Amino acid sequence: MFNFHIITTIAGVVLALLIGVNTLFIQLPAISVVATLLIIVIFFLLFREHQQKFNATVEAGSKNELIDAELVQTTFTQMSLLISKQVVIVETELERVTSLVRDAVGGISESFKYLQNLTADQQTMISTIISNNKNIGDDSNTTLESFVHDSSKTLEDFVGVIITTSKQSLESMGYTDEMVKQLDGIFNLLSQVENIASQTNLLALNAAIEAARAGDAGRGFSVVANEVRSLSVNSTELNNDIRNEISLAQSIIDNLRKSVELMASADMTSTLEAKDKVTVMVEHVGNVNKETNNVVEGLAALAPQIIDTVATGVRSLQFEDLTCQALASLKDNLVAIESLSEQLTLFDKNKGNCAEQLLIIQENCQALIEQTTHADQTRGVSQSSMEEGEVDLF
Amino acid sequence: MTVKKLVSEDSKSVVIAIEGRFDFSLHQKFRESYSSDNISGSRFCLELSKATYMDSSALGMILLLKDHAEKLSGEVVVKNPSESVKKILEIAQIHKLMTIEG
Repeated sequence: MFNFHIITTIAGVVLALLIGVNTLFIQLPAISVVATLLIIVIFFLLFREHQQKFNATVEAGSKNELIDAELVQTTFTQMSLLISKQVVIVETELERVTSLVRDAVGGISESFKYLQNLTADQQTMISTIISNNKNIGDDSNTTLESFVHDSSKTLEDFVGVIITTSKQSLESMGYTDEMVKQLDGIFNLLSQVENIASQTNLLALNAAIEAARAGDAGRGFSVVANEVRSLSVNSTELNNDIRNEISLAQSIIDNLRKSVELMASADMTSTLEAKDKVTVMVEHVGNVNKETNNVVEGLAALAPQIIDTVATGVRSLQFEDLTCQALASLKDNLVAIESLSEQLTLFDKNKGNCAEQLLIIQENCQALIEQTTHADQTRGVSQSSMEEGEVDLF
Repeated sequence: MTVKKLVSEDSKSVVIAIEGRFDFSLHQKFRESYSSDNISGSRFCLELSKATYMDSSALGMILLLKDHAEKLSGEVVVKNPSESVKKILEIAQIHKLMTIEG
């Protein structure tokens, strides 16, 4: 401070000399150069002498009242003001950082909570899928798989019923054929009966002729012969009636045959197609089931990973604590700086011995240094890594 | 649409060959082809290589043939069905009731 003052004064003088000499010897550059060099050398010598003197003054500072007390006080006040101002700014910034960190951690914490809820929802959905896959919602615990299996079984039963029906129909067809044979036998018998009737008719005719030949004596016999003849005619008529009835029965049997044919003959093509479709369906359901199981397993494997990730995130949120502790300890340092500022304001030029006051300030500073060192060693932030310890947010 | 019948010398083996459509129209001929064989332990071979089609009445006929063979403690063997006929036999689970060869 002081030597700078003197240096500027000397520099001013040197400059004035230089300008003066150079103006004097402006016409003679050689002399001007020599003079300039001379002045510079003189200045250098003077400066060196002064430097030595000044060093001596500083060394003797505690003993000699060479320092301008007012200047010291002004400087100290200035410094104190500057420090106070800086401290205020740093404090404000500290508050800001702390609040930013708290806000950010609050947000992150919220999003973790949300993430956890989403995961829970997801888990519920997966459970729904699983239960849907297992049960289609009726009381008998029907699954898609069991439904397809049942369908396949139903189709088999259906085919079984068709074939049994065909078999029974064909069996009754056999009985019908036998019945037709029996009817043919009856026709045979009817022909024989018809033969007998026509022979009887012929016999009655002969009897009538013989009765006519006998004249009055044969009149009674003629009546009997006519009666026998009319009986044979009646019998032929009855025969024809029976034949007609049996023919009707035969046509009814033909209808029966057609009806049985319809019953026995089922085209199996559509059944084949249905069977193919069911087979495809069984395969499809099997694949879907397999796929679903894979996905569900994958999702189940994801769940612990998500939980782990969330736990890591939550643990990382400790940085809020660590940061806040660090920031709080910075406040202690600010307090120390503030007391330094106070120390500076304690200096009073009117109080007498300046050196003594400076010494006191020095001692106080020393005490502050020790205090700070001690505080630093026992600093609250004992945890330096986030990996240590567990923190549960929820 | 015919039913051909071939009987071995000892009458123990009867081959019934179907040609064309195997349906209801054959039922009488089919039944006649085996109903007269009443030898115990008979083996009935149903040759289907020339059968082009089969409906449920054919399946019924085969079951009736089986009933007949069982009465005689014999057996029925279905031979050489075409692919489509074989499918129908399988749907009807015929392969569980008798041997299908070829």
